[in-house]
Amino acid sequence: MQNKNVSSVLKSVQKPGRYIGGEYNSVIKDKASVKCRFAFCFPDTYEIGMSNLGVRILYDVINKDKDVWCERVYAPWTDMKEKMEEYSIPLTAVESGDPLTDFDMVAFSLQYELCYTTALAMLKLAGIPLYSKDRGEECPIIVGGGPCVYNAEPVADFFDLINVGEGEEVLLEICHLYNEMRDNGSYTREGFLREASHIEGVYIPSLYEVSYNEDGTLREYQPRYPDVPKTVKKRIVRDMDKAPYPEKLVMPYIETVHDRIVLEVYRGCIRGCRFCQAGMVYRPVREKSPETLCKQAKCLFDNTGYDEISLISLSISDYSELPKLTDDLLEWTDDAHVSLSLPSLRIDSFSEELMRKVSSVRTGGITFAPEAGTQRLRDVINKNVTEEDLMRSVGIAFRGGKSNVKLYFMNGLPTETLEDIEGIAELAKRVVGAYFKIPKPERPHGIGVTISVSCFVPKPFTPFQWERQNSFEELIEKQKHLKNSITDKHVRYTYHDARVSRIEAILARGDRRLAPAIALAVEEGAIFDAWDEYFDYDRWINVFERCGVDPDFYTTRGFGIDEVLPWDIIDVGVTKSFLKREREKAYAEKTTPSCAEHCSGCGANKLGGKTRWCK
Amino acid sequence: MVQIENKVVPPDKDVNNPHNNIKIILRFKFRKVGRLQYISHLDLVRTMNKIVVRSGLPLYYTEGFNPKPKMVFAAPLSIGTESYAEYMDLRLKDRVDPALAMKLLNRNMTDEMQAVECYYPDSKFTDMKWLSYSIKIHTVGASAELASECERTLTAERLEILKSTKSGEKLVDIRPLVRSASVVFDSGALNISCILSADQSSFLNPEYIVSALKEKCGILNDPDLTAEHYTVTRLSAFTEDMSPFR
Ligand code: SF4
Repeated sequence: MQNKNVSSVLKSVQKPGRYIGGEYNSVIKDKASVKCRFAFCFPDTYEIGMSNLGVRILYDVINKDKDVWCERVYAPWTDMKEKMEEYSIPLTAVESGDPLTDFDMVAFSLQYELCYTTALAMLKLAGIPLYSKDRGEECPIIVGGGPCVYNAEPVADFFDLINVGEGEEVLLEICHLYNEMRDNGSYTREGFLREASHIEGVYIPSLYEVSYNEDGTLREYQPRYPDVPKTVKKRIVRDMDKAPYPEKLVMPYIETVHDRIVLEVYRGCIRGCRFCQAGMVYRPVREKSPETLCKQAKCLFDNTGYDEISLISLSISDYSELPKLTDDLLEWTDDAHVSLSLPSLRIDSFSEELMRKVSSVRTGGITFAPEAGTQRLRDVINKNVTEEDLMRSVGIAFRGGKSNVKLYFMNGLPTETLEDIEGIAELAKRVVGAYFKIPKPERPHGIGVTISVSCFVPKPFTPFQWERQNSFEELIEKQKHLKNSITDKHVRYTYHDARVSRIEAILARGDRRLAPAIALAVEEGAIFDAWDEYFDYDRWINVFERCGVDPDFYTTRGFGIDEVLPWDIIDVGVTKSFLKREREKAYAEKTTPSCAEHCSGCGANKLGGKTRWCK
Repeated sequence: MVQIENKVVPPDKDVNNPHNNIKIILRFKFRKVGRLQYISHLDLVRTMNKIVVRSGLPLYYTEGFNPKPKMVFAAPLSIGTESYAEYMDLRLKDRVDPALAMKLLNRNMTDEMQAVECYYPDSKFTDMKWLSYSIKIHTVGASAELASECERTLTAERLEILKSTKSGEKLVDIRPLVRSASVVFDSGALNISCILSADQSSFLNPEYIVSALKEKCGILNDPDLTAEHYTVTRLSAFTEDMSPFR
């Protein structure tokens, strides 16, 4: 946004630093000498987008190619959006300040369903038609990627090309194909998309005919041409030690959400909680070696000057070489005044050693996620932690000086009864009890236990993908019941807005018939639905009604076990038969061991990849 | 806005630490221009923290739970002001060649923020008493007449502006804080050169000059934000007797 006239606008909005670019390590290339201009859009604010590890990796990976210039684009906050609309200022990329219509590819990272409206609002601000079918030859190719695209059907009509799976390799392949076709003069929009559909991990929604049964369920996905694959296989990076990793990070001037080095330790999860989509879609589990991680950490520290390194993955304590990794890092981090943090600790891994070594554990709040209130329900969801684990962990935490413990739970899980709900209150009470059991001199002064309860959203590619979601009324009833069950004055209770979970479920499990409703919501001003202050339930219900979408069809209706699912078009590695098996075991209240104990044949190993456990 | 938060390095208490006996303080004068005018002082501090770490200089860290490099800035800028006269005092563990230090720092910053001088100072930030600014106003109806009207306003006996304080709005005379001001009409804009108080107890933000003119001379009143604009640039710092601050 370097246009002169914008300076008064910049002075009139909150946090103008969001829009200026010019950061250290941001990449500037000569636009005349690159073949492909690639705009990487994050459909949320600068502060959130700049914290996203995936985008930071891909920015670096794409820019290593001299023929491609990748720039960043973020959603303007509503005050800026208003000004842009008022003064016809188009959405521009941070690096060059050029409008998105100047680009060859415009890619969106879809991290959560509620960002769909923001993504479309960005297209609108850029003056790009929302629907793929309305875009002409001169329009950039609109690309979607990120965790949401394991079921991208609700927004499939808005994207020309969807990258299913990890983007490190495939995005460059797409750019190379594009450059090649431009160079040899064979490029047409249609021809390019058709050719791109042959790349593993590329899904071209317009190349499939979708039909429905009379009862509204899906009949089939039919490729329009014989060379178009029947299902699209997820793309993975096979060897994490060889995967491209950024040595430099763009350094934001303004404070972002995660203003620190984020080190991805491994991909996937060995646990297999039955409600968790990430745990399934990122399989097979692929670790990085401690050597690789230490090298990357040191290099990033030298290039950024951050004073914190956060080790992340879905369940960090399951990393098979965690003690070696933390020891190796501690060899230099203390002297460099760098602290370590681990954001996702499992209850059964919490230890005095970790409390000593890891500063986030030492100084931060303590959070555990039992997810369900009774052992029965924890078995149903395959959350393999026991009450004993929890009591042991909170005991260590209290003795270590922690006086506040936060516990995460979910309401509306399959088979849940009122007894399970009461179990949440009882568990919290027993945590309080564990505090009072510790002799006074050995425990901190004062205690608070917070239970935070979200609502279950059945997600694609989980054993619970067919489940019905509790109705709004049922969820409210359960929230009330829990409230009444809490008697201990040391226990605080917070819960998630059930209306948000309902919209999330619709967008997560929906099909292509949702597109007109989403477009209409954007037409009527929807943006930043992931932000409480902009989420508007009534607007959603209203647009669904006007577009003939029945919310119950995607929520309180369970999906038939033999029904064609919108996401059947994607092959995520984990097989449907495994998910069915897991579902049956859930109903039988039987748990499944983690990959580290026993491979349960989920099917993800057929994607290949250097893994520790897969058979 | 008038108050500035500028703390002078407190005297050492920790005499047991050998590094603490002699305080090695290196001063950088740097520019912060272009797009970086939109970066707040707080964000500048945060950014500079990482820059000095990357530079590899032998930094002195604060004691305590959350050690940070020790640095102090003079006269914070408000958002929307460019500057060629920013000062930072950085505390080091060991002496280094200032020319080398400047090189190390500049390598880790973009062109819009670069150190232009680096030295071991004799003065304190409290010795900085005046700052000069250039303000360029592109306003509808700018003319030589308007320029002289603006100059008369700024140099009149009193220059009263409304300031919001804890006890509501108050009329304050800021004229004593304006050492000099001239306004000329050039290239379609009103060009103001002024020297304003930088004293810690009576710091005058140049935005007050713009708002005083807005109020008294009716400039910058177009409701269309893109029709008019102004830039503010801090140029140099001076001591009480108007010799260059160093
Ligand atoms: S193939 Fe086996 S070990 Fe590999 S992710 Fe699946 S269940 Fe785990």
